[in-house]
Amino acid sequence: MRRREFFGFVAPSVLVMAGLLVLPLYQTIAWSLQRVNYGETGTFVGLDNYTHALTDPRFGQAVLFTVELTLVVVATLIVLGYLLATLVNGLGRSRPFVLGILLVSYVIPQVVGGAMFSWLFNSNFGGVLNFLLSTLLGQDILWFASTWPNRIMVALNTVWSMLPFAMLVILAGLQSVPEEVVEAAQIDGAPTWRLHWNVIIPTVRGTLGFVAIISIMDVLRAFDQLIALSPQAVQLGNESVMLYVFNVAFQDGGQQLGLGSAVNVLLIALICLMLYPFIRGIAREARHA
Amino acid sequence: MTTTTERTRAVADVVPAPPRKRWSARRYLVGGILVLTCWAMLSPVIWTAMSVTKPTDVAFLNPPVFFYQPSLQSFVDLWQTTQFYQYLINTLVVAVISTVVALLIGLPAAYALARMPGWISAVLLIAALIFRALPRFAVVLPMYDLSRALGIYDTTFAVAAALVAINQPFSIWLLRNFFAEIPKEVDEAAMMDGCNRVQTLVRVIIPLMGPGILTAGIFMFLFAFQEYLTATILTDINARTVPVFIATQLGQTLPMLQQAGAAAMLLTLPVIAFAFIAQRYLVAGLNAGSVKG
Repeated sequence: MRRREFFGFVAPSVLVMAGLLVLPLYQTIAWSLQRVNYGETGTFVGLDNYTHALTDPRFGQAVLFTVELTLVVVATLIVLGYLLATLVNGLGRSRPFVLGILLVSYVIPQVVGGAMFSWLFNSNFGGVLNFLLSTLLGQDILWFASTWPNRIMVALNTVWSMLPFAMLVILAGLQSVPEEVVEAAQIDGAPTWRLHWNVIIPTVRGTLGFVAIISIMDVLRAFDQLIALSPQAVQLGNESVMLYVFNVAFQDGGQQLGLGSAVNVLLIALICLMLYPFIRGIAREARHA
Repeated sequence: MTTTTERTRAVADVVPAPPRKRWSARRYLVGGILVLTCWAMLSPVIWTAMSVTKPTDVAFLNPPVFFYQPSLQSFVDLWQTTQFYQYLINTLVVAVISTVVALLIGLPAAYALARMPGWISAVLLIAALIFRALPRFAVVLPMYDLSRALGIYDTTFAVAAALVAINQPFSIWLLRNFFAEIPKEVDEAAMMDGCNRVQTLVRVIIPLMGPGILTAGIFMFLFAFQEYLTATILTDINARTVPVFIATQLGQTLPMLQQAGAAAMLLTLPVIAFAFIAQRYLVAGLNAGSVKG
């Protein structure tokens, strides 16, 4: 392919991304150094927004909550995703049907899935799960008004909506495990758990790492589900980083747009750091080509 | 724990077959766990379906009512008392436009990236990877500012344009991985027969890419259909989409809340059908969309 042709082919896509992704990104970086509101030219304040963010206890709480949520959800996703993929991998004719059902929570918009979860838990709306639990325990759990129950509900919902993705990618990984290796282990009389722990899991390590990285980046950006599930997020300390940005930079008329932009920039830096292994891989591939 | 029958048989040729009873017990156990998992995964949808088909006065009663006379009144109310029809049209317009445009500009770019290795492609692919992982607000808040300045705030055009850009990195990666599976010799043969690059792409390669394009299209449509964050920032009332509508109804009282549930079901049922019909493509896309770096 000639260079001229190459540029012709990528031009429309590059123009769209330059105009609608790079320019806005530049704007965000510029705003992060300003005191500014929508439609105004801001005043330059240097790194004030960054120091404000890093010393704001509310932001600290948001980071803590987001990191905790990420760790719990991603660990659960990997374990459950692996178990579920193993079970589905053994299925025969019923497989497409089971996969179809398991895909449902992936195709439902997250905010709608969150709404559905809230109806399952909310005692004001006769949530069936809340009803069963409170009958069993003899006391009402305040899923929306107390910190930890709310966290558990949010984590459950996040796992629910992301499990199909983890399961499917791991399932594809399992299919690339050579059958001879598994058979050899079985002939040697390895018990099931050893077969998984010493043979299959080391083989699909790369896939599990991939699922972990993608899920980490997705949970770090958690937003939609909190809108539905945590209307009192700020009071409960269950504000995610993205919800914090939304609240300070949009909700109250964008009073602190600079602050929100600074948080965005910090998050981008973190994401680039996490993507580094992938970036290096692509660069290496390009050098060898 | 290979329970596939073929594999069990292959093993059985070599080692004495394990007692039949143990295998079937294991199969029942696996089946039981899977049925329970499926039930748990579906329960929010099932409960919502029940809540919206209850008569309004008992819909959200505590303790919950399990036996009732099913009624579709909430759907009728939704249709008659809200702008749901308009929101649904908005959602579909945004999804269709953004899917078509994303494919039109993404296809040639992905093709070029698959065919020309080198550092320019690597830089573009790395940029696409980073853009794909970006926090939405970092681009959507400036877009809000811009759309206000240009006077296109609260139009389906603005939302569709934003989504084309936001989903472009994913579609490029996905399509590029599909293109890479078509051998270069196909291009060379077509060009030997007198096609230029554009003709090669349009007449020879794209017809071979059918499933790949369908997969990318399905994902673009699904992402646009699901999008909440971008739509809530860029729309007010005229271009509001269904997920935004449902989210705004959540703080409301009973009849409105049941209507939100009805809207959620109307939005959910087609995508559930989709999960079964287009399953093959969803599975393929989730795997090809992965970065194989």
